[in-house]
Amino acid sequence: MRYERPATIEDVTALLASGGEKSFVLAGGTDLLVRMKNDAFEADLIVDIKAIEGMSDVTRTADGFEIGAAVPCAALGENAELSRVWPGVVEAANLIGSTQIQGRCTISGNLCNASPAADSVPAMVAAGALARIAGPDGRRTVPVQDIPQGPGKTSLRKGEFIEAIVLPDPGPRSGDAYLRFIPRTEMDIAVVGVGVQLTLAEDGSIASARVALGAVGPKVIEATEAAETIIGTRLDQPALDALAAVCSEVSTPIADKRGTVDFRKQVVGVLAARAAKIAYQRAGED
Amino acid sequence: MKDGTAPVTLRVAGREHAITSAPGRRLSEVLREELGLRSVKIGCDAGDCGACTILVDGVQHCACLMPVAQAAGAEIETLETLDDPLVAQLKASFLDHGAAQCGICTPGVMMAAVELLRETPAPSEAQVHEALGGVLCRCTGYRKIIEAICALDTPAVETRPEAGQAVGAPVRRVDGRAKVDGTEVYGADHVPLGTLLVRAVRSPHFHADFELGDVSTWGARRDVIVLTARDVPGENRFGTIPGLEDQPAIAEARVRYLGEPVALVVGAPDVVEPLDLGTFPVEWHPLGHSLTEAEGAADDAPQLHDHRPGNTLIRGRVISGRPEEALAGSRHVARGRFETSYVEHAYIEPEAGIAWLDDDTLVIQACTQAPVLDRDETAKVLGLPKDKVRIIPAASGGGFGAKLDLSVQPLIGLATLATGQPCRMVWSRSESMLASTKRHPGTMEAEIGCGADGRITGMTFHGDFNTGAYASWGPTVAMRVPVHASGPYRTANFRATARAVHSNGPSSGAFRGFGVPQAAIAQESLYDDLARAAGIDRLAFRRLNALRDGDRTTCGQELHGVGLGACLDALAEHWHRATHEAAEFNAGATGALRRGIGIASCWYGCGNTGLPNPSTIRIGITPAGQVMLHQGATDIGQGANTVITQIAADAAGLPLDALTLVGPDTALTPDCGKTSASRQTYVTGKAAEAAGRALRAEIMRRTNLPDCDAIEPVEGGLRVRHGAQVQDVALSGTQTDELGYAIRVEETYDPPTTALDADGQGTPYAVYGYGAQIAEVEVDLDLGTTRVLHMIAAHDVGRAINPQLCVGQIEGGIAQGLGLALMEEFLPGRTENLHDYLIPTIGDMPKVTSILIETPDPEGPMGAKGLGEHVLIPTAPAILNAIRDATGVAALNKVPVLPHRLRAAIRGHA
Ligand SMILES: Cc1cc2nc3c(=O)[nH]c(=O)nc-3n(C[C@H](O)[C@H](O)[C@H](O)COP(=O)(O)OP(=O)(O)OC[C@H]3O[C@@H](n4cnc5c(N)ncnc54)[C@H](O)[C@@H]3O)c2cc1C
Ligand code: FES
Ligand code: FES
Repeated sequence: MRYERPATIEDVTALLASGGEKSFVLAGGTDLLVRMKNDAFEADLIVDIKAIEGMSDVTRTADGFEIGAAVPCAALGENAELSRVWPGVVEAANLIGSTQIQGRCTISGNLCNASPAADSVPAMVAAGALARIAGPDGRRTVPVQDIPQGPGKTSLRKGEFIEAIVLPDPGPRSGDAYLRFIPRTEMDIAVVGVGVQLTLAEDGSIASARVALGAVGPKVIEATEAAETIIGTRLDQPALDALAAVCSEVSTPIADKRGTVDFRKQVVGVLAARAAKIAYQRAGED
Repeated sequence: MKDGTAPVTLRVAGREHAITSAPGRRLSEVLREELGLRSVKIGCDAGDCGACTILVDGVQHCACLMPVAQAAGAEIETLETLDDPLVAQLKASFLDHGAAQCGICTPGVMMAAVELLRETPAPSEAQVHEALGGVLCRCTGYRKIIEAICALDTPAVETRPEAGQAVGAPVRRVDGRAKVDGTEVYGADHVPLGTLLVRAVRSPHFHADFELGDVSTWGARRDVIVLTARDVPGENRFGTIPGLEDQPAIAEARVRYLGEPVALVVGAPDVVEPLDLGTFPVEWHPLGHSLTEAEGAADDAPQLHDHRPGNTLIRGRVISGRPEEALAGSRHVARGRFETSYVEHAYIEPEAGIAWLDDDTLVIQACTQAPVLDRDETAKVLGLPKDKVRIIPAASGGGFGAKLDLSVQPLIGLATLATGQPCRMVWSRSESMLASTKRHPGTMEAEIGCGADGRITGMTFHGDFNTGAYASWGPTVAMRVPVHASGPYRTANFRATARAVHSNGPSSGAFRGFGVPQAAIAQESLYDDLARAAGIDRLAFRRLNALRDGDRTTCGQELHGVGLGACLDALAEHWHRATHEAAEFNAGATGALRRGIGIASCWYGCGNTGLPNPSTIRIGITPAGQVMLHQGATDIGQGANTVITQIAADAAGLPLDALTLVGPDTALTPDCGKTSASRQTYVTGKAAEAAGRALRAEIMRRTNLPDCDAIEPVEGGLRVRHGAQVQDVALSGTQTDELGYAIRVEETYDPPTTALDADGQGTPYAVYGYGAQIAEVEVDLDLGTTRVLHMIAAHDVGRAINPQLCVGQIEGGIAQGLGLALMEEFLPGRTENLHDYLIPTIGDMPKVTSILIETPDPEGPMGAKGLGEHVLIPTAPAILNAIRDATGVAALNKVPVLPHRLRAAIRGHA
């Protein structure tokens, strides 16, 4: 196995472009190392991106934030400005694993691992986050939901990797929230995860909303129909009930040892309503 | 992993080390194997357990998830490299609070705590939770760890009891220092230069015939030796119960469970470690398989063992009175069917050990709870005389029953005999979960009746228990369950039967309680039904029926020293408070949360069921006056080393610190039996008491004092005090025996039990322990989640030899009982890791109030009873009863009560 720690983005893409089939980007390694041990496979090439200048920075730009692909999730929680503007995204990222995992794992890795249960992904989708991709032919930017294609599969092409996640500023009177369901209090994979982002009109009704559902389908579900049920409302009980019902309806979960299909459909509705209430309250305080 | 990148330099505690390992190798392995920093433990290699937690630039990280190259240039600290006053204080606090039991999690826990304490010298409990969320402890239930960290600056209360005052004092563990220093030697920690590594080739099928290909060519090409069943020199069968040995060390032609070894690969570590065993030449012919007790018992089930028709390993029963008639005439009858799952012990230390040859003796240092059994069974498998095998138990990183079976012992023994070299084996987490024993899954049907006055009239019970592929401790479960199925209650008319059924699941063996925790779930759930039907408060109902002194058990045994009533009485005030608080909370509840409370009791017989199980303790005094306690009971964290020493010291009249521990080691210590069945404090303790008394008598014989208050070692002998009189006994220059002792005593104790007759009548145990627990829970009705808020546990220990160790057992037992009730379900082939198999974390653990009741046992040493298994029996049923109280759900008949099961039950109920 070849292990490389390149210093520039160009070196990363060049290495990845020339590497064999089993070439991997290494960020925190919290998925990759576990997978290599469990599946007992030897990688051909590992490209560690932690030594690249600027890759571990959270940058405030004119219209949002740029989170470098090597930024550990713990650093997101320590960033006061980011936590104020995107509390739901930060909470989701900070739910990943334990304190030890927090010090290593990244949201780009969480996204590229392409697990349907990835915690930060529904929150990022609800936030309208974008992935900035660097490749042998230059850069392109796509909505984060376009990256995962199904369990373990991404839309990244050979030689490409994500250099940063871009979070746009949400505008005034906005709030977001992420809730997940796990049977244990911590250190567990989401059985269901729900991210909600909403912006209020001057009169306090919901002007726009985004709802994203995790672990209830092969990849994250952006539930536009669910978001529509609460737009124009003040999140009264009928609106919450409608939101829950649509979230249950659009979910296509599998049954496994962590929960039955019925259970996941029920829980996704309950969590969506609870997350929406938190986001609504945050938007009101914004 | 080999690659060509530049070598890495690591900075550990300020010193630079040039690393020869490849940059992609895990930091945990580099620290342990290359730098010898073995306080870094490996429990999972997947970020799940936190045993490998170290500080990187002052921040906690899992060393198992870091390629060594990512640590280059950073400052690394491990427990053994830390040397500052804060750490010294933390270690002292861990000792004072009993925060390290087996100690395998301790280095990781401490590193996480150090990071926290450097920033926050006086952390809140919530901050400790946050900092320690990624470190698992399977022994302590986390409470003592939290106390040790939060109460760091309270001055240490070091108890150094006077001679004769050790029993009853909360003294520090006598073997605690190495655990908090990170220097304790567990199965994976002793690695002399030149040690070969052994790995097992395991079956990917639950049930299959197989043919090996050309294994020697395969091995020769890779520079390794391959060993198969053909190389086993002795009888390739081992087991735990005489007459039922049925497990091959290496499978011969057929495998019966997933992960059964079919060959061993032995060679240099750097060759064997990266070897791809997927290319091993073996052809599989899969057979049909069963995984549950129902599948195993089915008429068309594949049969596992020729001589066990119907896959029935054994049946057990206890019958007294006329149960059917009694039930027919009962005012109220409750009946139910209950199912429990496979439960994994999930100690943080996967099985590991090393073997070497000392002249012509095979020495094995591995994790175990049963050194003499290991010696005898390993000798048999390897065709050696017993005295040519020496077992030195390594410190055990948790056991809970599964280390009562052989694991690595015959395998590394075989490899060492074949190569002449020291050989070690360290199972991965998934190997450990595949190949170790489990708690028996059970399907139980029970019916219990009571009169209008609430008095129990009769009970019937049948349980089928899935004993898996091999016998292991299945027979013990089949006997213990009928004996205990009534619970600690007067039950005049009774019939309980149990059957242990083979399947192709992992072998079920011993796990804290041997089936009794499962049976208690059935009985205690039905007691709640009956109490409700009879309109009697649930605690009062149990108090009414509780066994008392002079009562007879369902086996016809007359009991003495029964402290259950005292336990229930001690819980009464808590019960009333909790009832009131839950009602108040629910009255004001508008959201999805509801509270509930539940109660359950336990009893448990200490020692083997109706079978001899002697222990022998030897004490010797050297001419220099050194007192050596030969103590062969393995301490798996529960504290045998400490408790036995306390008893021996007081019985002898010596101060505690005058005794030096020897052993356990089959070459140095007499047989103290197995660390099982909650027997060590009672049985070995009783032998220690007798040995201590005998020693005192021997010493007194050398004086002319009528009696003595205390004895102390002095230069070249002993000083005996009686009131104001003092006499010295000179030992230097006296003749010594073959062990080098001037004085030596040896005493054996075997519990006075009788074998049970065909109806289970007799005296199965000489001593029982009792207890009862209250659970206070909060349920989210919409999500089906349960949070246990508070457990109140009252346990009758007879005499609390060491109150702190007692509380440690209670808290640890409650954590495991909580797991059994709410989250632990081992699914063969699907949960062989610690992220799919969930055990309680620090955040799951409720507040625990422990109440020690001391109703002396007439037989136990100084009145003491056993406790180790009792503690988890009432937890699960108390939690289930509390959930029913909170939700109104009529019956919860499958554990664990996973959220989706509870939601389905709530929905079904509504
Ligand atoms: C104990 C434990 C607990 C966990 N708990 C959770 C949890 O609660 N919730 C959760 O969602 N996840 C959890 N995980 C999974 C994991 O921690 C997350 O998915 C994490 O965010 C992955 O980030 P990483 O930087 O460590 O990824 P890595 O392991 O470095 O990479 C993951 C995958 O993404 C690829 N990759 C990484 N970065 C890039 C990039 N910039 N561009 C292209 N490809 C890239 C890698 O090649 C690899 O295939 C847990 C893992 C462990 C070990
Ligand atoms: S060994 Fe590293 S977390 Fe378990
Ligand atoms: S003391 Fe924590 S695992 Fe044993």
